[in-house]
Amino acid sequence: MKFKKKIASRIKQFREELDLPQLELAKLVGVSRQTIYYLERGSYNPSLTISFKISEIFKKPIHEIFYQEPIIKDILEGKSLAELREVAKIAGINIEKLASLSEIDDEQLTKDFKEDMLIKIALGLEIDFEDLFEKEAK
Amino acid sequence: MSKEKNSYDGSISSSYKNKELLKGALVLGIITTFIISIAIAGAFLAWWIIPIEWMYLMTIIVYSVFGAIILIVYIYNSAYVRNFTYKISENHIIIKHGVFTKIVATIPYSRIQNINIVNGVFDRMFKTFTVKIETAGSTAAAASAQRGNIKPEGYIPGLKDPYIIEKKITEMMTKLSTVPSGLEDKIFKPEELAFDNFISYILSKMREGEKLKTSITKLREKANLSAANLAEKVGVPLQTINYLAEGRYNPSLALAYKIAEVLNCKIEDLFKLV
Repeated sequence: MKFKKKIASRIKQFREELDLPQLELAKLVGVSRQTIYYLERGSYNPSLTISFKISEIFKKPIHEIFYQEPIIKDILEGKSLAELREVAKIAGINIEKLASLSEIDDEQLTKDFKEDMLIKIALGLEIDFEDLFEKEAK
Repeated sequence: MSKEKNSYDGSISSSYKNKELLKGALVLGIITTFIISIAIAGAFLAWWIIPIEWMYLMTIIVYSVFGAIILIVYIYNSAYVRNFTYKISENHIIIKHGVFTKIVATIPYSRIQNINIVNGVFDRMFKTFTVKIETAGSTAAAASAQRGNIKPEGYIPGLKDPYIIEKKITEMMTKLSTVPSGLEDKIFKPEELAFDNFISYILSKMREGEKLKTSITKLREKANLSAANLAEKVGVPLQTINYLAEGRYNPSLALAYKIAEVLNCKIEDLFKLV
């Protein structure tokens, strides 16, 4: 079992370190300000050429700027405590175990969680299972 | 020829000529028997005009004509089988056939509507199949449809294993029509960015200096993986890997990460902006 991941970035942090406004960065990269905004929010999977250009501007390797983050992490962090409790109840686990999902890696996931448990969690979160996890290719 | 490494050449089975021979023999057999029986009936009715010896002679003549026609059918169909070749290449299907008039039919994939595999009574006897490739608005099909006999442009008879052809054609067609995975995401999602991305995609295509150099093939071979293996592990079509290796396609970062993960290396080792 694997987490489905999205691309998250530290662009905002690095940009603020350099005191570079979004628009300026956008001009340097050759994209629109909106693209930078979406990249910072982590809701956009950039092309490799754009990634290379940003890494050139910040003079840092790509993996320091962009990293993969489980989609479920963002979702769990956006939920209130009451909502999390509800989801945990549906899945039949305690809330600590549910919260641990935003910390662990793929290996730990396979060890700690069974597939039917994850299906229930997805159900509780009202999100398709396939959008949160992927099965290991054989 | 050797340039098109993905093309598939084929010919048809010689069972086809046997099938046609049987068909011809049946039809002709019925006709000759009919003629002879009428003649014999006539001879009995008018025995005083036609001597019975003539009947023997006539039967012999009719049957030798019958034999001669069968022989011609056999020779013709042998030549037909010999001359029939087809080629499923990257962009079209080429069918070469004809005994007296040589015909080379080229069917582009964009015009194929459907592929029918026909297994008629005679086909079943000789364990052969006929593949009919229907094309859009072909005049030949329209004309013969009026006669109730549809012989489309793409007509390949006498095949022992039609599913190979069907598979090959479908393979080529999907290859032509699939957008490499990730590309669709990049251009069309999220919707707010669609136009922006579309423009930057076009611009990046236009800008010459922005090419990605890749060592994906080298690293893949080092990891002892075939292109197909890699595609499977990453979860993308093989074509995507091929496009990447040729440097024809700018992947999304997520895809690059996945490949780097499988090959256990850094993105910078895999790709370089030149």
